[in-house]
Amino acid sequence: MTDRAPNDGSRASNDAAGAAPAPATRASSRTRRALTRLLRTPLALLGTAVLAVVTCCALAPDLVAPHDPGWVAYVGTGDGRLTLAQSRSLPHPPAFGDPFFAPLGTTAAGHGVLTELVYGARTALLVGLAAALLSSLVGVPLGLASGYYGGWVDEGIQRVVDVLYGVPFLPFVVVLVAMRGASTTNVVLAIAATAWLNNCVVVRGTTLSLVERTYVDAARAAGLPTHRLVARHVLPDVLPVAAVLLVQDAATAILAHATLAYLGLADVTTASWGAMLQRVQATGHVFDAPWWLLPPGLAIASLVAAFYYLGHALSDVTEVD
Amino acid sequence: MTRFALRYLLRRLVVAYATLLVVMTLLFVLLRAMPGSFVSAMTTPGMTTAQTARLEAAWGVHDPLWMQYLRFLLNYQTGNFGWSPTMHAPVAAVLARRLPRTLVLFGAAFLACYAVGPLVGMVLGWYRDARGGTLALALSLFVYATPVFWVAWLLVWLLDHRLGWLPSAHMVTQFPAFDVAPLPVALDFLRHLALPLLSVAAVGWVGATLLVRPAMRDAARSDYVDLARAKGLRERTVLFKHAGRNALLPVTTSAALALAFLVDGAVVTETVFSWPGMGRLIVTAVLDRDYPLAQAAFFLVAVVVVVARLGLDVAYTYLDPRLSFGGRER
Repeated sequence: MTDRAPNDGSRASNDAAGAAPAPATRASSRTRRALTRLLRTPLALLGTAVLAVVTCCALAPDLVAPHDPGWVAYVGTGDGRLTLAQSRSLPHPPAFGDPFFAPLGTTAAGHGVLTELVYGARTALLVGLAAALLSSLVGVPLGLASGYYGGWVDEGIQRVVDVLYGVPFLPFVVVLVAMRGASTTNVVLAIAATAWLNNCVVVRGTTLSLVERTYVDAARAAGLPTHRLVARHVLPDVLPVAAVLLVQDAATAILAHATLAYLGLADVTTASWGAMLQRVQATGHVFDAPWWLLPPGLAIASLVAAFYYLGHALSDVTEVD
Repeated sequence: MTRFALRYLLRRLVVAYATLLVVMTLLFVLLRAMPGSFVSAMTTPGMTTAQTARLEAAWGVHDPLWMQYLRFLLNYQTGNFGWSPTMHAPVAAVLARRLPRTLVLFGAAFLACYAVGPLVGMVLGWYRDARGGTLALALSLFVYATPVFWVAWLLVWLLDHRLGWLPSAHMVTQFPAFDVAPLPVALDFLRHLALPLLSVAAVGWVGATLLVRPAMRDAARSDYVDLARAKGLRERTVLFKHAGRNALLPVTTSAALALAFLVDGAVVTETVFSWPGMGRLIVTAVLDRDYPLAQAAFFLVAVVVVVARLGLDVAYTYLDPRLSFGGRER
């Protein structure tokens, strides 16, 4: 029963492609076929599920979180003050009922760990997607140009890439962020500034192999203008590669952001999982508050792994390695 | 043939040198782009204006920018890295002490990752369609997705705080009760090396696994594997000796990328374990605003990366005859 639906879907799209072999239909049916195959891979399902949960948290944290970000254990959201005994009991392990309710315990400042976790989802998702999109927007066109035109364009772009590959990533980001200030925007820019290199090299390789195909030669001989040739005959086969790269970039960006936060180089005023871990360390509770240490790390790992899973499933489906 | 090889080598050398020039320029620009003159990081509120002016004159802040740039380039290329205001020592001396420590830790970590990773990759690629295959892949990817410093904390908690087996900070015992003789000191050093090494390797092995796994799929479909099976060889022999060896190629050609991973790991791991190496030096120097030291440390890391990449690139062209010298296509 569960197996039938995707089978029918793919057969229907095959029929559609056979009936009308126009390029647009062919491309869309291929996408649909890839999507149905994607939804049958367990890794892709797992990744999508995690991503859906994180997206919900990022879009409406106030609906998911048990408290608002200003909530403090014992005194709630009012401006009451903690007694000495109460503040000594912080960070507090998970508590249900009196004197307060905090499903994953509290931080040293009395905020709920689960609440901070939910509110940190937005930063993680934003950093991942923004850095990935930026590095794709730079890397993919440059890789396309490099592979398609060849000659001095290729030589120029590849020399720049070669030179930048020699610059170590994390030390570079550390210096950049330390000098330009540790705002989330700067962190994203710094990550994207180095992440596009890989996209450029991989897309160039794919383009090189595509340009030698007969149908590209035929299109060129038919007098198709360059921009249309690239858009209709090269780009559609580059896009699967670019999609895999995009997903992997998102994963590395989230990890890099967490690492920078640990080093004290991310914005600690916005809620983020990396900043949570940094606070665990700054307050000296790494080894005595597991309820506070474990959730942010697991959250980072789950989201990054979700992107890796999607990337792997995508490359399996589109037969990119 | 040799003429082409020489030309290729020369070309690689020029690119390597250009890379270092760009890194130097980048450092120079970054230094000037930060708010205030970089002498302001060295002044204290108690200084008189005359003292500040003398400091500025000594560092040449008022010279024209092109002069500063040329002097900077000249100094760096002659190995004159200046004086560190926080360490109160020549920068070159500080770096010479720090670099070997990082190389030891990450040389060992590199070996550990590349001993374990490819083996796991071979098995995962071989039993790709088996029931546990996807689960094993999912688990390895999850390990690869964990932040290194967090894994390091968990390992410290387990092996130091819980079990008390291994020390979790510094490179040697600070005030040792044992005699300072070669053997006890070496053992003490190895005990301190174990936890940082374990943390880097715990995450790092997956990189090699992910490279070997797809290569193994292609190897498993090949004729020589069928032949080896037809000869009646044991499955294990076919896996590791016949298919596995051929699947190792992508690992050797991408060791340069692994190098980058290790440099990033150095910064984080050394910070967690107070390992007095280069990575930690960069972070503390940047945070303490010791710019001469930060600049030179960054530059030295770039030199190590560039030289290693150059060496690996040249080595491959000799190792793999299919990569032609001269006009090599990547």
